Amino acid sequence: MNALVTLDGVSKRYGQNTVLHDVSFEVAPGSIHAVVGENGAGKSTLMHILGGLHRPDGGRLLLDGKIVRLKGPLDAIERGISSVHQELSLFPNRTVAQNIMVRREPTRAGFVKRSELEARATEALARVGSGIDPTLPLGRLGIGEQQVVEIARALERRARLLVLDEPTAALTDQDALRLFEVLRDLRAKGVAVLYVSHRLPEVLALADTISVLRDGRLVATLVAAETSEDELVRLMVGREPEPLAERSVAEPGPDLLVVSNLGRAPAFADVNFSLRRGEVLGFAGLIGAGRTEVARVIFGADLLATGSMTLGGEPFSPRTPREAIALGVSYLTEDRRGLGLFLGLSLRDNVVAASQDAVVSRFGFLRPRRLKEVAMALLRRLDVRPLDDEREVSHLSGGNQQKVLLARWLMATPRVLIADEPTRGVDVGAKQRIHAELQGLSRSGVGIILVSSDLREVLSLSHRVAVFRAGRLVRILEAVEANEEAVMRYAAL
Amino acid sequence: MVEVFGKRAGFGREAVLLATILALAAGLAVARPGFLASENLISIATGMVYDLPLAMAATLVLVVGGIDLSLGAVLALSSVVTTLSLRSGVPIPLAIAAGLGVAAAVGALNGLLVTRFRLAPFIVTLGTMSLARGAAVVLTSGYMVAGLPPAFLALGRERLLFLPVAIWIVVALLLFGHVLLRRYRPLHDAFYVGQNREAARLSGLRADALTASIYVTSAVLAGVAALFMSSRLGMGYARFGELAELRAIAAAVLGGAAFSGGAGSILGSALGVLLLALIQNGFVLLNASIHWQNVATGLVLLLAISIDAVRRRFSGERA
Repeated sequence: MNALVTLDGVSKRYGQNTVLHDVSFEVAPGSIHAVVGENGAGKSTLMHILGGLHRPDGGRLLLDGKIVRLKGPLDAIERGISSVHQELSLFPNRTVAQNIMVRREPTRAGFVKRSELEARATEALARVGSGIDPTLPLGRLGIGEQQVVEIARALERRARLLVLDEPTAALTDQDALRLFEVLRDLRAKGVAVLYVSHRLPEVLALADTISVLRDGRLVATLVAAETSEDELVRLMVGREPEPLAERSVAEPGPDLLVVSNLGRAPAFADVNFSLRRGEVLGFAGLIGAGRTEVARVIFGADLLATGSMTLGGEPFSPRTPREAIALGVSYLTEDRRGLGLFLGLSLRDNVVAASQDAVVSRFGFLRPRRLKEVAMALLRRLDVRPLDDEREVSHLSGGNQQKVLLARWLMATPRVLIADEPTRGVDVGAKQRIHAELQGLSRSGVGIILVSSDLREVLSLSHRVAVFRAGRLVRILEAVEANEEAVMRYAAL
Repeated sequence: MVEVFGKRAGFGREAVLLATILALAAGLAVARPGFLASENLISIATGMVYDLPLAMAATLVLVVGGIDLSLGAVLALSSVVTTLSLRSGVPIPLAIAAGLGVAAAVGALNGLLVTRFRLAPFIVTLGTMSLARGAAVVLTSGYMVAGLPPAFLALGRERLLFLPVAIWIVVALLLFGHVLLRRYRPLHDAFYVGQNREAARLSGLRADALTASIYVTSAVLAGVAALFMSSRLGMGYARFGELAELRAIAAAVLGGAAFSGGAGSILGSALGVLLLALIQNGFVLLNASIHWQNVATGLVLLLAISIDAVRRRFSGERA
């Protein structure tokens, strides 16, 4: 079998962090090859290498048996590799035809020939079996149709390998089925498809071969017809289930936060759970399963659409974060730089932002000395380095920035802390420090919701694990039954 | 860049500005002994009375992450409303209140459009700039409004300790504003909002209310400048304050304010106004062509922000 694309020992490092380690596999023309793995297993990096966005640090990439070095995304496209990312790279204000033909517009004397533009777009759409009107502005189309447009564009660029990243994440079931038809049809026409996903049933139904990544390594490449969901889950997780029994489980306290039938279309619906005093409740699930959206509603960052909540027995429906904070609910955002920190301000300004009442005089004037004391105490407690409260927070490393953000919410002395990806992109030392702090809070009676895509983190800290899938809370696992396999089964199937 | 208190309290910037100002003053004093004559110094100070409140206004708006292009036009409208009221016999305090009130109304419109409808401040204030200037022209048919009561004229001309009272008032206003912006929590929150509006909201701050009230404050400060100008020049005029907002923004940027928001200092902006005033005075004293004055002002501004950008790159700040 002559492979179209061959990866041979491909590796990629970011600083100390090896995200891809010696990965080798082939994709044949006229086949669908799936890549599966947990969050952070290296799937996106692999895609970026194929798309020319990243260059591998080791190993070779072969196209038609010849070694290639992709100079960038355009080079990849010109060589016949087109990528469709989760965030589509389309122009919503331009027409469908203009999107498909971008940078390849047929022209005469520098002017675009409109009729030919539309004819060629229609042709490209027909090739994916779609009758979308090419003169419509792209923004009028649903997300499923937009994805079809992006695939049509790839074909118009003579793509021989189509790389798709979680293509069904934003699609309805119906749109997903239509997409599968298109992909099968392309396969019959000799196009190769690399299909990155963690949705196992669709991978099994669609792909010819499946590569499993774990912690940046290729664990196995399997023939789809000869494997099963169970085997894939086991390979993706790869470790024997770790019992959680030895965690210092506090006696579960009384209910603190009770959430009933919470919903906010289209992100999530019918979410029910209760959080007890001193409990760490893990929120597990794939990216996009609705966990952050639930957290934001509890915090008042987004308005509640349906359902109700009680906090300490009282009805609770915050309309703004300000109200939630006043009632003792804190939310550590997953987007440290975008939604968390004030990058140009000092460490201490960042620490006190949510609880300035503690550092102002009766007349509302900030008290510099008090401000310094309070901030320094927290920064010292979290071992922030360098320990300089007047330094601008943008100068710190990711791990230390995260500690500063955590310090802000420690200072707010919450009853309920929602920690959303509290250790994403931080070093091991900071991670341990943050974990210890969360456990300390839990022992002191704070109820913690731990949203994390790091399964080991969720399992080692949580007393119970709520598993989300596609906007639903599908199962709450008790400590004894929570292990990686069980979580992945509920999250991905 | 801007630390709110303490050793790096935007102090570096203010010190550099001050040094530049002293060097320029020394140079002028040597070249033209007339520079140090009290009439000249008082005329420099008097000329700054209008630009200082505007620079303070521009600073507040830039700190909270916005921009206000309507300042000069609001000045004109406010002066026209006050003087027309006076001429039709309205008592002085009421006429002043009317001028400040109409300024506040324009500011409230700016604030409402920026916060409630999430419109870009540049476009909103470009619109209200045209609106206010146009209204001032319509109200006066383009004529100057003169014939004002002597008691009103006296406001801008009274002297206290050798200087016009207006200067003392403006200096007091500046110092007060400077301290409030640095220390008074409700106003100091502008640094948070300007740095990262959504993070401020998620930290429980009232980002929108603060932004809106800063636009109102900014417009009222333009009204204060209008009051001094009408009183001193003895009239109201629809063409007062043309391009004044651009000078104010330039002074604020010289003083450390950033277009990206979350940085700035009222004291720094005041020094920026002083620097621009000295440049202007230098051109007059040296009998240099007035046409070159704008060129020099532009060069100083570009030089200042370029030095800033370079300094930030070398201090290792990330984008």
